[in-house]
Amino acid sequence: MSDLALPTSSSSLAHSNQQELKRDARQERFVLFSLCSPALLLVLIIMVLPVGWLFWLSFLGEDGNFTLENYQRMVESKSYARIFRNTFEVSLLTTAICILIGYPLAYFLSQLPRRTANLCMITVLLPFWTSLLVRTYAWLVLLQRRGLVNEWGMDIGLWDEPIKLVHNLTGTLIGMVHIMLPFLILPVYGSMRAIDRDYLKAAANLGASPTQAFWRVFFPLSLPGLFAGSLIVFVLCLGFFVTPAVLGGGKVIMVSMRIATNIELFFNWGAASALGVVLLVLTLAILGVASRVLRFDQILGRGH
Amino acid sequence: MGKDKSFSSRSRAGIAVAAMALAAGGFVSGATAQEKVTIASWGGSYQDAQSKALFQPAEKATGIAVTEETYGGMSDVRLKVKAGAMTWDIVASGSGSAARAGAEGLLEPLDYEVIDVSNFYPTLKMKYCVGGDVFSTVFAWNTETYGENGPQSWADFWDVEKFPGKRAYRGKVAGALEPALMADGVPMDKVYEVLSTEEGIERALNKIRELKPHIAVWWSSGAQHAQLMKDGEVDMTTGWNGRFDVAINDGAKAAYSFNQALLDYDCFAIPKGAPNKDTAMKFLAEISKAEYQANLPKYITYGPTNKLAYEIGKIDKAVAEKLPSHPDNAKLQLPVDIEWYGKFEQKASAMYQDLVTE
Amino acid sequence: MERLSLSGVAFLMYFFGNDQTLVFAGQSCATPFSMGRSCFSDRYERFVLNEMTPAASSTGSPANSQAKTPAGGALPITIRDATKAYGRIFALDNVDLDVRSGEFLTLLGPSGSGKTTLLMVLAGFTRPDYGSIKFGEREIVRTPPHKRDLGMVFQNYALFPHMTVAANVAFPLKLRGVSKPEMDQRVEQALETVQLGGYGERRIDQLSGGQRQRVALARAIVFEPRILLMDEPLSALDKKLREQMQIELRRLHDKLGMTTVYVTHDQREALTMSDRIAVINHGRVMQLGTPNEIYERPANRFVADFIGESTFLPVSVQDGVASFGGQALKVAQLPRGDHELLLMLRPERLHLVTNGEEVRDSAVNAFQAQVREMVYQGDSFLMYTELEDGTEVTVRGMTRRDMVSCLPAIGDAVQLALHSDDTVLVSAEGA
Repeated sequence: MSDLALPTSSSSLAHSNQQELKRDARQERFVLFSLCSPALLLVLIIMVLPVGWLFWLSFLGEDGNFTLENYQRMVESKSYARIFRNTFEVSLLTTAICILIGYPLAYFLSQLPRRTANLCMITVLLPFWTSLLVRTYAWLVLLQRRGLVNEWGMDIGLWDEPIKLVHNLTGTLIGMVHIMLPFLILPVYGSMRAIDRDYLKAAANLGASPTQAFWRVFFPLSLPGLFAGSLIVFVLCLGFFVTPAVLGGGKVIMVSMRIATNIELFFNWGAASALGVVLLVLTLAILGVASRVLRFDQILGRGH
Repeated sequence: MGKDKSFSSRSRAGIAVAAMALAAGGFVSGATAQEKVTIASWGGSYQDAQSKALFQPAEKATGIAVTEETYGGMSDVRLKVKAGAMTWDIVASGSGSAARAGAEGLLEPLDYEVIDVSNFYPTLKMKYCVGGDVFSTVFAWNTETYGENGPQSWADFWDVEKFPGKRAYRGKVAGALEPALMADGVPMDKVYEVLSTEEGIERALNKIRELKPHIAVWWSSGAQHAQLMKDGEVDMTTGWNGRFDVAINDGAKAAYSFNQALLDYDCFAIPKGAPNKDTAMKFLAEISKAEYQANLPKYITYGPTNKLAYEIGKIDKAVAEKLPSHPDNAKLQLPVDIEWYGKFEQKASAMYQDLVTE
Repeated sequence: MERLSLSGVAFLMYFFGNDQTLVFAGQSCATPFSMGRSCFSDRYERFVLNEMTPAASSTGSPANSQAKTPAGGALPITIRDATKAYGRIFALDNVDLDVRSGEFLTLLGPSGSGKTTLLMVLAGFTRPDYGSIKFGEREIVRTPPHKRDLGMVFQNYALFPHMTVAANVAFPLKLRGVSKPEMDQRVEQALETVQLGGYGERRIDQLSGGQRQRVALARAIVFEPRILLMDEPLSALDKKLREQMQIELRRLHDKLGMTTVYVTHDQREALTMSDRIAVINHGRVMQLGTPNEIYERPANRFVADFIGESTFLPVSVQDGVASFGGQALKVAQLPRGDHELLLMLRPERLHLVTNGEEVRDSAVNAFQAQVREMVYQGDSFLMYTELEDGTEVTVRGMTRRDMVSCLPAIGDAVQLALHSDDTVLVSAEGA
């Protein structure tokens, strides 16, 4: 590059306006950059500072001195490891079920005429307008021992004894999948809509049966949306509180619930913030590994 | 919720916009004669009852202006104390968390020269907190499953052969270990003695392990255990008596017993740095009087902490007999030992969480 | 005129042959008007490609002897009664069409004419309401697209963005279970055929429009289909590239020899590339013929209007003599039937004769006109004139340096001469 640089010091001849033009260009870049400074400031204030503070607090003991006891506690007490495993298990299962239900549904919607699809989309989004708590309690009413599902199931003779649908993992998953489904369907549907129908026609024309065309062309092209949706669902699940608290019957304990307990139980914030820090670190680590393995940045980077 | 007040205090510090503080009506120069207190409680029907039975009548009688707010518990108090911006004068709290907050230095010690507790049950007051109402952690059962004469003791609660059915139990350690020991045959007055060693705690936990396969739900709130009984989701549960009364009045097929129940109380405390500490002390003295305490059961089935309240004839006999702090009921129960919780709760909680997540 | 002379450019007239000159009165270069011989065949032969009618290929004409035909040979396509209605609109209206084996046939029509629908019916993406489509002897109207075994180049290429160039081209081979070494070899061969050898590892988004077009073509021919469909494949390219690709596509067709059905709305493209053109409008085939026939002898006003520029003059016919404005016309051929007839005037077929000159050639029709406007277009110019009855008629001429002084001025009266061979009457139908 150096040989391409305009001669400045080496040449005694100063090019007319060279310095001034350079300064103008610099100024323009600065002005452009300053446009994003409010956003940067906002991120700093609402993201970086609190997370940093959280991190700092997690190393403070009850007496306000530096200590590792908050982390030590997590290693020593078996329940913490179980809770973390539980959290990731529930999040993974929810994500998996959301994919199994949401992907075909999004595919179905994407094949409908736009107007019909938009109508159906409203029904997918409708739950967003109801409070999370209301939806969660609605599931409780439906699924409990003397709830509608069990009563109907026994009335029509599907089963004789009430089956346990709630106050356990099953109920938690049902509730969480219901709440998370739109977060998966929206990006998947979006990416499916963006797939040119001609790709499938081309595949068919080249000899691909509908199944082959789907797996070799449609599915790979819908992956960016699927990754985005799964990621949103998975990360949202990690921090979920209400639904597992209500539908889990105290048997499905997630990190967020333990954070709440620790805030009540311990004098210092450290006990709770250490949990937050570990969850954050584990989440980032998992995403890092996932992005390596799945190489979705590469897939995402591919324009159409 | 608590915004108006915090704005006013900051405006005094010259930080917030004065106009907003004025609009909030909390701008007081300090020279004004009127005394005032700000009380933070849990909100909902519980605070409604407190307001009607205690705060409003006391405000009328003393001329101390009362401002009510709601708050989220001692962690909020901790935040305000640490920020040096306390705006509350009195907070309502559970006894256990008040004890811990007191130990942490978040609360002012109460002046029992000002507050007359001579007629209180002896266990319903402590250095940092004076009892406001009494409730019990009882066992309740479904009357459709077991009839009116259901389980009579914690041993019965544990007896899944005599009383087959699903149980619910508390998901947190508070009030969870004592019943287990009683079910295991520890006499009521020895419970906290036994619990004061790790082996004792382990003994209680093992007893709960025994029952665990039959525990369908680990409940986490009063609303939840009331609902579980109302919906027939479980056949038997532990829980707070007032909630069951509400559920029974609501048509729940449930009954409960005070036998071997845990007698506990909610209390009032003054947070560190309260702006009107002396007024608050006076106000607490007022609402601790029997005539106010006797009002409370009209609005919620939690008992007065002042024994005299039963004697001044303000509480119906029928109502009184249902209250946890009625002498006939109180004698059946084990008063919760706040000191034990101060010493052992964190340790016991960790062990209990291990058990629940096993 | 002032503008033109300021630019210092001379305007010249170009007539039939370079040996023929036509000039104007008062000029030294003036010679009597005379019409040259008819030379359609020279004029309209494609300048790059030899005419390659299927008939010629089947008789083994030299031009086609080296053509490589796909395995099993090219297939003819027979379309009978193909009909597709969308509500009350007929996208295809009882279409009968025969595409000969190895032929390059273009479906030409305006947008909404049904040409793309017809292509989609051939590809199997649109199910006709009724009708029969045969590839060779095989009825395929109910065969799903992936079993039709035909290559297709889409308008937007439809290259799979998640695959490399090589993977795109290998796609049809993979589906056909071709072994890996053979696949690699055929992919590279196909890429070389479209002059993209060595581009296999590129990603699609790294290619230019023209390169994508070639990849699409390579993918469509790599499995040696006997029929190739192309849906306006050049419409996304700029003019220069488009013209270059037209020639390349035509060459490729000559080399591979597969039956090709090509859809376009660009008449010049159709004329350049096709063996035969089917002009389509309102779901019907308006005319089927060689480019020459379509241009020179359009079946009706629609075809005449759509292909090339034309002005139409109303013509009355009495006792087998056609006349315009009372002037009897010398006509090469009088269409049969009793439709209303129009005289088709192509701008490049009209010649200028300044007033005072007499048109002596007996095979020429002359019309009186007045010059209204001149437009310079570099290689040619356009002269807008007005006939006595007020009809505007455009004349196109080639610019030639030695003709600079021979042009009329605006307002001059001129005569427009039309050789009887170019005096074509068309049916007024199908406008």
